[in-house]
Amino acid sequence: MPWRYARHSAEHALPIGASEHAAVGQTVRAGDVLAAGATHGIAIRVAGARRIGVAVDDVARVMRVPVGAEVERGQILARTGRRFARAATAPVDGRLIHLRTDGDFEVAPIVGKWVVRSTLDGSVTRADDAVVAVEGEAWCLQGAAGYGPDAVGEIALAMDGPAGELVPNRIDTRMAGRILVGGARSAAEAITRAHACGVGAVVAGAVPAVGLRAVYGPETTARSSEASLDVPTVLCLIGFGATSLPVALYEPLAAMGGLRAAVHSATARLFVFAPPAEPFGRDEPSFVLASDWSTVRPVEEHMAMSTATRFPSEFVADALAAPDGAVPVANVRRFDAPREVLA
Amino acid sequence: MRGTLAGGADLVTTLVTNDPRRFVERAAVLRAARPDLVVACASERGDADGLVDLAEALRFGCAAQQPCPELMIQADDRVRARIADAAGLATTSALPDIRTDAGRDALVARIRALRRPSRDAVLRDEAVEAQAGEIARERGSVLVLDLDEARASLCHVSASGVLTSVHARLGIGATADVLLARVGVDGIRRWIPRPVDAPVLVERVFNRALWPGAVPATVAALTLEIALAREAIASALALADRAGIQAATYRAPGTVLLLGKLAELPRASAAVLVAIEGLELDGVTTVLREQGGVIDPVAIVAVTWPRRSATVRVSDDTGAHEERISRGSFLLMPTSGAVKLSASGADLRAEAASLSLGVVVDARGRPLAIPPRDAERLPTIARWHAALDALPPEPA
Repeated sequence: MPWRYARHSAEHALPIGASEHAAVGQTVRAGDVLAAGATHGIAIRVAGARRIGVAVDDVARVMRVPVGAEVERGQILARTGRRFARAATAPVDGRLIHLRTDGDFEVAPIVGKWVVRSTLDGSVTRADDAVVAVEGEAWCLQGAAGYGPDAVGEIALAMDGPAGELVPNRIDTRMAGRILVGGARSAAEAITRAHACGVGAVVAGAVPAVGLRAVYGPETTARSSEASLDVPTVLCLIGFGATSLPVALYEPLAAMGGLRAAVHSATARLFVFAPPAEPFGRDEPSFVLASDWSTVRPVEEHMAMSTATRFPSEFVADALAAPDGAVPVANVRRFDAPREVLA
Repeated sequence: MRGTLAGGADLVTTLVTNDPRRFVERAAVLRAARPDLVVACASERGDADGLVDLAEALRFGCAAQQPCPELMIQADDRVRARIADAAGLATTSALPDIRTDAGRDALVARIRALRRPSRDAVLRDEAVEAQAGEIARERGSVLVLDLDEARASLCHVSASGVLTSVHARLGIGATADVLLARVGVDGIRRWIPRPVDAPVLVERVFNRALWPGAVPATVAALTLEIALAREAIASALALADRAGIQAATYRAPGTVLLLGKLAELPRASAAVLVAIEGLELDGVTTVLREQGGVIDPVAIVAVTWPRRSATVRVSDDTGAHEERISRGSFLLMPTSGAVKLSASGADLRAEAASLSLGVVVDARGRPLAIPPRDAERLPTIARWHAALDALPPEPA
């Protein structure tokens, strides 16, 4: 089934500079802050052990502020002595980010703040300076690729039917914070307009690959990529170019308008928070890769197994008989068939 | 870099001691890279302090990573201890100088151990290298060229038995999108003998990357697969060149064995064309390909750049045939039975018991000059394909 209600786990990678994070076992809802921290500027190395005249192993004992604490310019980081005191002080307002093994300190100014929010309702199963993982139950749809930061919001439909396209003039600021279901295709113009209007994320059957490269840069690939920058969030469900959504994907999406949802970009998953009794489960659709690989389309018709067929490329392969000609079996697959190969 | 290429690692980032990025930026780069293995090389005495700085950034960026990255350190005992302390990682080990064979072998062994799905599993790279060794024992210097969904492997064994291998994550399927990001749209498009819009090309490559094992059913898809194959090989060779491996050894190997997706192309001539243009073969090379476990001699490729027009003579079971060659010529001389190649005006000499395709004479010069403008490029590329009859006719 494309839509599955199950217990899922989502890892949220944290940028450098986490100052606080949720505790393991804590219950969270999608959208809750899991971790917060600061973006650091250029760190300044402050002489520590040598300056205050203690052994490296003793620096921690004489420190006046813990690593990770915010400091003000001139604030004492570590100090020894009484009458003839020797101290290491913060050269700038910022944060004591690191204690080096040679006893020196790294102090960095704070140039921005960040927060990472949960994409699942559930409980925290891992929390450290690198990752906060949340486990919880939700309806989930596994997409092909996700781009941009995670997003949380209500689902809103912005298409006329399973073959409809997300057109820019249907997007306005009233959709701010929503997760927009953009139908079969969402072009770069619609994605950037949605982002400008504050839309949380765009979910589409297919996205033009060139549009993605225009929005996210020429190094964009067909794989999910996280980004902490101010860029749109896009979840591509089926492939690239154009397609139409099969009934098994479209009907549940159409019925989900107004429900809370979240996009977990790193794993290209759409979580929807609705009771398990909702009738979103459908038979799993199959897809066929176009003969020139330019599009992916759902298989709505019956395809009979054929014998080994010689194709115009002269490849001989097992084929399925479709109304418009034979299709290699390898070019037809279920929605959730693995997309990765072992390298 | 040579060791990482030979081990088949995906080199996610490189930091040098005089890297202009500062502490926090270095840590952010390392965290984003999520390395499984970090190699610290203190080749010079003065590198120690800089490497300790990098190791501090590694601890700041990756200490909480799970699983924790391993650290291999090439340095003397004192510096190694400093770097290990600064990095603060659970697993560190010593690495001999990676400029030596022992150092490279140790690095390759560790990388392969990390890549191995189970203790007894044999990696495809290892199988390809073993096959290269076997062929080299029979035929002398050999290059085995293996191309699959996600990886391009070039294993060269010299006549004296020295193995140099490159295993790059640049394939024609699952990593085709990575290849596209690396070489750009024009890098792929330049090999396609018909007009293709950039947006359409990118979509085709991205869809293919999400579809492991897809079969190119049409000539258009086959053409793209052949273009990706050329560029994957050329890019792997460029990586080898950057790593200090003499690309010339790969370009004049004497014998080339084609494996994987390249060997599975329906027309042997297409596989030969990819090998010639991807590697930019030089000199005289016998091309073999493996299909169904059988190694079949396909063609002799004779590359020349004659001062004046030269005459190539090919003798086979049907008699002797001569062709006049001038600069820019590219042609196939089909053969039957035992083949003997000689030439006047060019130093070309070879023999083979039989060839399924024949003798390919290439006087296009090196490096290959591909016209930049479509008006000249399309007929040129089409002519090269037609010379070897590499593509099936388009259906009416």
